[in-house]
Amino acid sequence: MFSVLICDDSLVARKQVAKCLPDDWDVSIHFAKHGEDALEQIRAGKGQLLLLDLNMPVLDGYETLKHIQEEALPTRTIVISGDIQPKAHNRVLELGALDFIQKPVNAETLQSLLSKFDIYTKTDEPKKQLDGLDPQIRDCYQEISNIAMGQAGDHLARMLNVFVELPIPNVNLIEVSELHMMLTDIEEKESVSGICQGFVGPGVSGEALFILSDSGVGELAQILGIEGDIDDKTQLEVMMDAANILIGTCLNGLAEQLDMHFSQGHPVILGQHYNIRDLINTNKARWRRTLAIELSYGLEGFSVHCDLLLFITEESMKIMNAKLAHFMEDLA
Amino acid sequence: MNEEMQEFHWMMTLLQNVDVGLVVLNRDYQVKVWNGFMESHSGLLPSHVRDKSIFELFPEINEDWFRRKCWPVFDLKSRAFIVWEQTTYLIRFPNYRPITGSEEVMYQNIVLSPIVSPTGEVDAICMMIYDVTDVAAGKKALESAQVALNETLELQE
Repeated sequence: MFSVLICDDSLVARKQVAKCLPDDWDVSIHFAKHGEDALEQIRAGKGQLLLLDLNMPVLDGYETLKHIQEEALPTRTIVISGDIQPKAHNRVLELGALDFIQKPVNAETLQSLLSKFDIYTKTDEPKKQLDGLDPQIRDCYQEISNIAMGQAGDHLARMLNVFVELPIPNVNLIEVSELHMMLTDIEEKESVSGICQGFVGPGVSGEALFILSDSGVGELAQILGIEGDIDDKTQLEVMMDAANILIGTCLNGLAEQLDMHFSQGHPVILGQHYNIRDLINTNKARWRRTLAIELSYGLEGFSVHCDLLLFITEESMKIMNAKLAHFMEDLA
Repeated sequence: MNEEMQEFHWMMTLLQNVDVGLVVLNRDYQVKVWNGFMESHSGLLPSHVRDKSIFELFPEINEDWFRRKCWPVFDLKSRAFIVWEQTTYLIRFPNYRPITGSEEVMYQNIVLSPIVSPTGEVDAICMMIYDVTDVAAGKKALESAQVALNETLELQE
């Protein structure tokens, strides 16, 4: 895998640079605290691309560039520095750097340089494929989601003794960045808590994310007949009860129609102590696109509504499509 | 021994030795199956707990609460999960590692799964108890470290 080495003595700067790398770029990222450290890692085969700071202890950027030149090390370097004097700029180019970026680095500048030097160019290809989600397959996913959603809604209604409103499920192939926007959007509107739970069946794996607004918790507790103050503990109980029912029934419904069985992992609580977006951040490099099924439940006569998002990995779709092809024949 | 019997014997050995608590409860919450994990940690033999109500055996279980958790499993055939953050433990077991463990009790995640009979009814449920003490202790330590760090940062400002 292509390796990017970020060399800076400041932890904050290293993180900042790492964040500016394109999120769909499948690379391994390594860090070095000074030039000596960087050289060692390059000699060990890391850092085909070196993002280098100039002012550092032990061995500064200029010296590092000199060593790279002298030893003819296999790396290409872009200097990222706060030293914006024209002289500094010229010196690093003379020492073999590809280009010079001023600190603080921003994603666009970095990406345009990566593209200029043919290191990495963002492809628009996934977008084209995205639009290419076969309408018939989409309909099919929508239909099975609809059925599963209905069963889950029925179970929720029986638990709560209220009428559950069910809008049409939303089925889309989405990219990491879109998921980010979606979650940011949810979080910005109101304060929410959530539960996520992994699930796996033969050849199919994914994750369920249950999101409930904090304002809705009180109402749900009231409907469930839980008395007393709504503290963290009550909130957790209410969420777990609702999530268990919705996730469990939905997955059962999907599994039945796909003629498979899903195992569920232990639920992980988000929001109460986590920031939902952070969860996605840490996994950014691992996947690019996912099939997202969005189910939204409302309760008649109440303002509360909760969202259930099912994310299914792109690889799983092959198996599911095969199963669904069979399902479509059955319908015909 | 015929092949079927042998496989059955293997299965029983697996159930007996797996490091997860396995219990089967009927609709009256009477214990029907009690595996090796449960026996070791509770000190109660299967013969002792068999057909006894789990609430009588373990008064620490909040009966109303636990029945509410089991209801969707019995009536909706839906799996239910209980995590240690909700309730540290369902049944109080001492820590697995009495010497090096930092916690006094075993933190538990519980999974309740329906057992559907051939007639499609749920007459019994399967309860799985996972020891998550290490996970819980790690998370608690991380949280207190974060609090300490925030305090330090605030002091510096």
